[in-house]
Amino acid sequence: MKRREFLSKGSTIAGAGLVLGAPSILKAANKGGDKINVALIGMGKQGQVLFRAMSNIPGLHFQAVCDIWDYNRRGAAGKVRSLQGHVPNRYTDIDELLEKEKDLDVAIVATPDFWHSPHTVKCLDAGLHVYCEKMMSNTLDGARAMVHAMERNKKLCQIGHQRRSNPRYRYTLDHLINNNNICGTIVNINGQWNRAVKSSQDIQYKKSLAIDQAVLDKYGFKDMHQFMNWRFYRDLSGGPISDLGAHQIDVFNWFLGCRPKSVFASGGNDFFKTREHFDNVMAIFEYDAPQGPVRAFYQVLTTTSAGGGFYESFMGTDGTINTSEMSSSSAIYRESTAPEWDDLVKRGYLDKKAAPPKPKSTDGIASYESAAPEEFAIPGVLNKPPHQPHLENFFAAVRGEATLNCDARHAFESEAPIFWVNPSALQKQPIVFTPEQLQV
Amino acid sequence: MSTESKAANNPLGLLFASLLLRVWLGVRAVQTGIEKFAGKVMSESPVKIDGEAYDADLTEAASSKGYSLENYHGIPEAMNTTFSEEPLMMGWALKIYDVVLGPALIILGLTILLGVASRVSLFLLGLVYVSLTWGLILIKQDAGIAWLGIHMALIAMALSWANHNRFCLLKKW
Repeated sequence: MKRREFLSKGSTIAGAGLVLGAPSILKAANKGGDKINVALIGMGKQGQVLFRAMSNIPGLHFQAVCDIWDYNRRGAAGKVRSLQGHVPNRYTDIDELLEKEKDLDVAIVATPDFWHSPHTVKCLDAGLHVYCEKMMSNTLDGARAMVHAMERNKKLCQIGHQRRSNPRYRYTLDHLINNNNICGTIVNINGQWNRAVKSSQDIQYKKSLAIDQAVLDKYGFKDMHQFMNWRFYRDLSGGPISDLGAHQIDVFNWFLGCRPKSVFASGGNDFFKTREHFDNVMAIFEYDAPQGPVRAFYQVLTTTSAGGGFYESFMGTDGTINTSEMSSSSAIYRESTAPEWDDLVKRGYLDKKAAPPKPKSTDGIASYESAAPEEFAIPGVLNKPPHQPHLENFFAAVRGEATLNCDARHAFESEAPIFWVNPSALQKQPIVFTPEQLQV
Repeated sequence: MSTESKAANNPLGLLFASLLLRVWLGVRAVQTGIEKFAGKVMSESPVKIDGEAYDADLTEAASSKGYSLENYHGIPEAMNTTFSEEPLMMGWALKIYDVVLGPALIILGLTILLGVASRVSLFLLGLVYVSLTWGLILIKQDAGIAWLGIHMALIAMALSWANHNRFCLLKKW
C-alpha cells in the first residue's frame, strides 16, 4: 500500500497514533483549494522554523502575527512581506487579534509551553483550527483543556510531533515493523538526545531590545532573561525531558501502539547548578505491549553531544532499527540468526550496507561476542524541512483532504506519561500509572 | 652509423612516433583542462518499493558527473587553500593562475593536436608544467613533481622530433 492510500484510509494504529482514544475530529468539512488565512501566534525561534516550513506550502495567506516582543513581530512581518508582498497585521495580545481578525481560518501556536494551552483554547473557542507546537502544555490539566476545547468546538488541533508525518518514520512503522516484522519481537527500546554544553547555554539578548517590564509582568515573565530562557523554569516548561525527549518518547508510544505502565527516572542539576530543571535525565519506561513486555530507556543530556546525538532504537529478536530525523543516524541491523533479508533488499524495502569487518582472531574478547549484525539502511531521505510534512498534513486536513496524523487527543495519550518523568526523578521513586494519571 | 643517419633510414617510424607523442600530449592537456569544468550533478528520484514510488517526499539522491562553467576551478579548492598559506605564493598571482590554467591547457592541447606552431605550443605547455612543478615544490608534493618531470621529458622528446611532424595546420614556429 502506498503512503497516500494509507493516509486516505487513516484507520490503522499508525494513522491514529495510539489505539486507546476514540477518534476525535480528524478532518474539516471540505474547504477545497481556497486560500487559508493564517495567524502566527509566537514568532520566536520555533515559530520561525514553522514559518520557513510553511513558506513552501501553497495556498496560505499569513494574515496576522502576534508576539509580545516587538523584535519578533517586526522580523515576522518582514518575512511575510518578502514572501507574500504584504505586511500582516501585528498584535501584542492574542485577545485583541482574535477580536479584530474575523476571517482567520487557522492559528499556528509556537509560544512558550505554559502559554500553549491558553492560546490554543482561545483560538479553538474563536472557531479556528490550531496547529500547536509540542509539548502540549507544561501541565497535564493544560493539555486536558486543549483536548476538551478541540472536541467542544469540533475544530482541528494538530500537535507538533512532526515525526508522525515524516515519511521515513511512517515507512519504518508500516512496512518494516508492521508488514514485514523485521525486528521480530521488540523487547527493548533505547532513545536519546545528547546535546553539547555549548548548545545548552543561556540565550543572550541585546539590552536595547529588551521588552518593557510591564509587558513581561503581564505575560508571566519575571524578567527578560526568563523570557529568553523560559525552558529552564518549572512553572513555564517541562525542561529538557519535555523539550527534547517528548518527540522521541512519543515515537516509542506511537510505534508500540500503547502507553507505558510505569516510569522510573533519575535526574539532577549536574552541571547547570542554578537551573530549576534537571540538566540530565534518564528514564526507564515499562510497557505491556500487544506483542509482550517492552522496556524502554531514554536519556536527555545537555552536557555532551557524544554518543550519537539523537535517535530512537527499536531492538527486537531478529533486528534493530535506529530511527532519527537525521538520516545519517538511522541504521538497521539484522541478527545473524534472523531470516535473510535479501528479498526485501531486492524489492527496495531496504538498502544493504557494506559488511562489517570481522574481529581479529587474536582478540581474545572477540570469541565471547555475538556475530556482528549485518547493517542495512532505510531507503531514501526526506527532501524537505522536517516540519513541513506535518504542516502539510494539517492544512490538507483543514481542506478536508486528509486526516490529522497527531490530533490533540492522541497527542495527549502519548504525552501524558512524559509529564510523570520529572516527578519520578524528584521523588526518586518509580511511578506505576493509574488510569486517572493518564486519562483526559 | 650515427643516430641521425639511422633516423633518416626510418622516416615512417619517426613520423608515427612524433605523431603519437603529439596526440598523447595534446589529449593529455585538453582533457585535463576540460576536467577543470567537471562537477557532480545531483538528482533525486522517489524511493521505489516493489517497483512503485512510495512517497514523493521520500527520495533517493543520485549523483552523476557533469560539465559547466559554474563548476570551473583552475586549482582544486583544497589546494588553493594550501597555496594561499604559502609565503612565496602571491595572492594576486594565484587568482590569475586559477582563472588561466584550464583555458590555457585546452588551447595549448588543441594547438598541439592540430599542429599549429607546434614548437612554440610545446614550449608554452612546458612552461605551464614548470609552473605546476614550482607550486608542487612549495607544498612538498614529490610524487606530483616526479609525474610532471615525465611530462617534461616527453615534451623535450616531442620538440626534438618536431622536424618529423606532418599533418600540421601551421608548420612555422
